[in-house]
Amino acid sequence: MNRDENTPGISPMEEMSPPCQVACPLHTDVRGYVAAIARGDFEAAYAIAREPNPLIYVCSHVCAHPCEEECRRGQVDEPVAIAALKRFAAERHDLSLGHGPPKPNVEPKEQKVAIIGAGPAGLTAAYDLARMGYPVTVFEALPEPGGMLRVGLPKYRLPREIIDVDIKGILEADVEIKTNVCIGRDMTLSDLKEQGYEAIFIAIGAQQSRALRIEGMDLDGVLLGVDFLRDVNQGRAVKLGRRVLVIGGGNVAVDVARSAVRQGRPGSEKEVHMICLESREEMPAHEWEIIEAQREGIILHPSLGPKRILGRDGKVVGLETIVCSSVFDSEGRFNPTFVPDSESVIEGDTIILAIGQASDLSFLRPEDGIELTRRRTIKVDPQTLATTAPGIFAGGEVTTGPGSVVGSMALGRRAAISIDTYLRGEDLTGLQFGEWRELDDLPPKTVERIKPLAREPMPMLPLEERAFNYEEVELGYTLAMAMRAAHRCLTCGGGAYVDTGKCAACLTCVRVCPYDVPIIKEGAAFIDPTECQACGVCASECPAKAITMKLYSEDQLYQEIDALFADAPAENPEPLIVGFCCLYCAYAADEWAESVRAQLPPNVRTLDVVCTSRIDIQHLLRAFELGADGVFVAGCVGDECRHTEKAANRIQGKVQFVKEVLDQVGIGSERLSLYDIPSAEWGTVPRIAQEMTERIRALGPNPL
Amino acid sequence: MIIAEQKPLDEIKSMIADYQKVLILGCGTCVTICFAGGEKEVGILASALRMATRLDGQDKEFIEATVQRQCEYEFNEEVADLVKEADVVLSLACGIGVQTMNEQFPEKLTLPGLNTKFLGQPTEQGVWDERCLACGDCVLYKTGGICPIARCSKSLLNGPCGGSQNGKCEINPEVDCAWQLIYDRLKALGKLDLMMEVKSPKDWSASHAGGPGKIVREDLRL
Amino acid sequence: MKSDSNLEKVLSAGHFAVTAELGPPKNADPEVVRKKARMLKGCADAFNVTDGQTAVVRMASWAACLIQKEEGLDPIVQMTCRDRNRIALQMDVLGAAALGINNILCLSGDHMSFGNHPESKGVYDIDSIQLVKMVKDMRDEKKFQCGEEMKVEPRLFIGAAANPFADPFDYRPYRLAKKVAAGADFIQTQIVFNVPKFREYMKRVCDLGLHEKVYILAGVAPIKSSGAARYMASQVPGMDVPQEFVDRMVAAIKGIPSPKSIADPEKKKEVRRRRREAWQAEGIKICAEIIQQVREIPGVAGVHIMAIEWEEAVHEIVSQAGLLPRPTV
Ligand SMILES: Cc1cc2nc3c(=O)[nH]c(=O)nc-3n(C[C@H](O)[C@H](O)[C@H](O)COP(=O)(O)OP(=O)(O)OC[C@H]3O[C@@H](n4cnc5c(N)ncnc54)[C@H](O)[C@@H]3O)c2cc1C
Ligand code: SF4
Ligand code: SF4
Ligand code: SF4
Repeated sequence: MNRDENTPGISPMEEMSPPCQVACPLHTDVRGYVAAIARGDFEAAYAIAREPNPLIYVCSHVCAHPCEEECRRGQVDEPVAIAALKRFAAERHDLSLGHGPPKPNVEPKEQKVAIIGAGPAGLTAAYDLARMGYPVTVFEALPEPGGMLRVGLPKYRLPREIIDVDIKGILEADVEIKTNVCIGRDMTLSDLKEQGYEAIFIAIGAQQSRALRIEGMDLDGVLLGVDFLRDVNQGRAVKLGRRVLVIGGGNVAVDVARSAVRQGRPGSEKEVHMICLESREEMPAHEWEIIEAQREGIILHPSLGPKRILGRDGKVVGLETIVCSSVFDSEGRFNPTFVPDSESVIEGDTIILAIGQASDLSFLRPEDGIELTRRRTIKVDPQTLATTAPGIFAGGEVTTGPGSVVGSMALGRRAAISIDTYLRGEDLTGLQFGEWRELDDLPPKTVERIKPLAREPMPMLPLEERAFNYEEVELGYTLAMAMRAAHRCLTCGGGAYVDTGKCAACLTCVRVCPYDVPIIKEGAAFIDPTECQACGVCASECPAKAITMKLYSEDQLYQEIDALFADAPAENPEPLIVGFCCLYCAYAADEWAESVRAQLPPNVRTLDVVCTSRIDIQHLLRAFELGADGVFVAGCVGDECRHTEKAANRIQGKVQFVKEVLDQVGIGSERLSLYDIPSAEWGTVPRIAQEMTERIRALGPNPL
Repeated sequence: MIIAEQKPLDEIKSMIADYQKVLILGCGTCVTICFAGGEKEVGILASALRMATRLDGQDKEFIEATVQRQCEYEFNEEVADLVKEADVVLSLACGIGVQTMNEQFPEKLTLPGLNTKFLGQPTEQGVWDERCLACGDCVLYKTGGICPIARCSKSLLNGPCGGSQNGKCEINPEVDCAWQLIYDRLKALGKLDLMMEVKSPKDWSASHAGGPGKIVREDLRL
Repeated sequence: MKSDSNLEKVLSAGHFAVTAELGPPKNADPEVVRKKARMLKGCADAFNVTDGQTAVVRMASWAACLIQKEEGLDPIVQMTCRDRNRIALQMDVLGAAALGINNILCLSGDHMSFGNHPESKGVYDIDSIQLVKMVKDMRDEKKFQCGEEMKVEPRLFIGAAANPFADPFDYRPYRLAKKVAAGADFIQTQIVFNVPKFREYMKRVCDLGLHEKVYILAGVAPIKSSGAARYMASQVPGMDVPQEFVDRMVAAIKGIPSPKSIADPEKKKEVRRRRREAWQAEGIKICAEIIQQVREIPGVAGVHIMAIEWEEAVHEIVSQAGLLPRPTV
């Protein structure tokens, strides 16, 4: 699902994708939707983010976001808040417009497909196959679809109605889900075949907690993490003591601990401890999760191995631990070493194990012909996900072991493609999934020139409001926060591309680029997408029009200008004013464009540009040609610029030039104004609009 | 390279007054680089002319095109159809391109939209300086690599004249005195003796003074 | 003798020579020239007629020279390279000589952009040094610039200009040497106000031995008013007017009320006249003083007085400088 179409005539480097997109297992066009948010086009952002992702709402709350780890903004300061922005786009989306893209117009297919397990992997495969035209049935053992989303993830991170939204969208794609059907218990694989399912996708996840082989496991008060969460999530009564000891240092352990904190009634005294082999720094859970856990009062005991569970009268009274000096051996294998004679005891009456999950593969029969790996996952071809049994595929945590939502979804998608290939009778071995070419790291000289911008913190439910309930903790961005967060994206690889056939090697781009990116190579300009910051100065200055901006091109700006005039009344009592406003500075403050724009009278129409350096002389002339009575440009002129002063200052020369043209033409230079608005003065756009209106009213209409 | 600048809009307007459909034809070489007649300038001029002529109550149509090098038939051939379609061609090439067009498409008039100014160097972004007069008999080897023919207001060969003051020419304090530059350069090179000899009058017949220039390389002719 | 020039005779007899400028009119009236000629007669040994000075159209130098010659003066025809190519220049050289003009001053010429026809096309086929050489070859070799021979040569005393105050200062003596090498017989310099700087220049010129090969006439001029002094000090390129002279021109009218403060037109006129006279007296005095100073400088063979549009002052200047009467040789 590569959205990077290769445009002929344009440098081949274009195929380089931003690392966020490469890192995303679904290869979401992160840059695209973040840029759309930056420009205030939230529905476009949703559409882009939704396209590859039928669980967009779920992901927008809980995605493990590997994209952020790779984000190049992280080289400058901190990664772009990609996941939070997705949530913003999803929350802004008007669901009455539908969940996702309309079902493609495809021939309905005959061959039935069965999917076992309605978790992220199974649901994604089902959705994709249904959209390809296959009749798809998902068999789910639990009463509700969602898999771990439903029974694993705690509600304070993923409210259940969020899951329902996505499930609804999937059902709308004509996916049939049969719940309370456990394969192995209610039906067998051969039953499915007999019922005419020509292909089967096993996506049963890893639903069982791993146990420990230590003394005391059978004591009363020892619980398994996944079971505990399932019970909590399904609203079953869970009995916890006063001191809960959670064993494990991963994300699931944190979820268990933080859920344990929430169990019980106000006033009940409780202490929750986490004990893990890893040192504090090595703990596999996300750092922000650990910090939240600590804020919620959870006490960490890193670098400790559980030695035995101590009991009295058949009940847990504590855990004997031993100091762990290292978790992995020199070859990086899990092989903990302990410090002799370092035993100590942590008292506790409940112990919950969260040291990993495994799949329940008991439903498989030898005659099914499905081989397993040594890690007790189903053995599949990594490209096609085909098991050793023909027509049977497997993917998700059942093949990978514990992973992530998005990772499992990607395998669901891959399975769908394989199954389609298989059902069309094509040779599966020929199926190859393309490699993604990734943009390199920012070179140091570029990092140096990029202005740092602080990451927008996620607003959180106050601590005191979290006790004993499962209210969602992360509250999501407000509009202003989302704008600021989106403006941090470097639009990697979405910048300038040179048509070498047109380039006159005039050196203009080489000279104007605030980041010193363009060079002349083999007689024409060469712009390394690794370095380009997509400010657009070069494209707007190139006298040969040899430079195109990949994202938000000059032509798009023309179209937007044209659109401004589409519904302009022929007889307008008020002068028609067009404002080109820089999104970075003209509005950059708490209330942003929406409220600012709401204050604008109808005769004033604004176009939001990402930096005034994008505006080209012809854009300004165009507005007059189409009949604008007055035009203003609002943006910072000096060092406030998101890019550099060098970029910001260019607008002055362009405005000066256009003023001269207007005088020569006979329209008059006084109809064009440039306003320097540092971000601190964002609120001045309505005032400018008013001032312009009055001034232009006095001048009378555009003589054209 | 050749440096040109656009003619005033009013002059262009009066040139095209009698024509309805105007092909504005840019050139992708020198005039693109000096921001006078590349694709971008074609677009800007078309926009300005559309507005200006509409204000004059005229209904004109402007076609925009740019060729790689307007002084060559082969490149212009690419726009032959557009030339046919138009009533007149407004060329944004140097005078050479304009003449090539007139020669190549004799049935259609091609008008100059630019003033071809000089042979110069883009000394910085947005600044162009005259550097050569195409005199046909280069003297740079005698003058430290600085041309007194193009850069001295009086083309002196035995300068500087008495008007040289603080390194500037008498005609304008913005203009460098070429001979001061030559003096400084030769001094730095230890070749001031070149400034001591009386240089004889120049043979101007090698330049345009000898009639229109022409070079024929028989070895290259096909 | 290279010519029949009175100037040449005066100089070669070892006298301290005086030349003066006679500005031609911006019209075809010969009387203007005649009047000035009569006024100047006896004040100097030869009289320059400028050739389109500051690129403003005036009566042709050779024509005004002819008129002053009729009045009995020894004219110096000025000839610039601005308006004539080598063909026209040589024709004019022949013509001037044929008319009995004995002196020529070879110049590059002020650029067209200064004058009243800035749109004109300058010629600058050759430069002043090449012009000197060309005239010398015509006279001494009987050859045109192209090498062709002529029968009767133009017998002219050849002059050239020098500006000791232009840049680069260090190069100026060498440029003078080039003019000498090209064949200059005499030199008229730019107006000297800054005598110490001129002295330094002359020292370098003498070090090169040029004073033995060429007669150097120092240019001088009277200042008309304090305003003129200030203007020349600050606005005229190449003109180096020391502050001392500006101050003296200001002091000259001390005690005379400003005309602006007087309402009665008659009285106003009277005050204006008094101021003018005070200024002129001081200007002439300074000029005479400078002449006396430059006379002391080794290598200076005479002075050239440029009383632009104020030829009346010349007599008084020469007289105050003690240079009257002019020798007859
Ligand atoms: C506590 C916890 C928190 C997590 N938090 C995150 C997070 O924040 N972000 C993130 O990206 N990932 C998170 N994960 C991981 C994520 O939930 C899983 O990677 C993902 O759900 C795996 O998807 P799957 O489809 O492979 O399997 P599952 O989600 O496990 O779905 C498998 C489905 O198959 C059903 N099933 C099993 N056996 C049968 C059978 N025999 N017949 C019929 N149905 C059957 C199950 O009931 C289940 O519904 C978390 C996991 C846990 C346990
Ligand atoms: S800066 Fe933007 S485009 Fe670049 S990696 Fe980060 S999110 Fe992706
Ligand atoms: S500005 Fe345009 S024409 Fe000039 S070098 Fe860059 S790409 Fe080429
Ligand atoms: S000017 Fe801007 S858009 Fe162009 S190459 Fe440089 S950073 Fe990229």
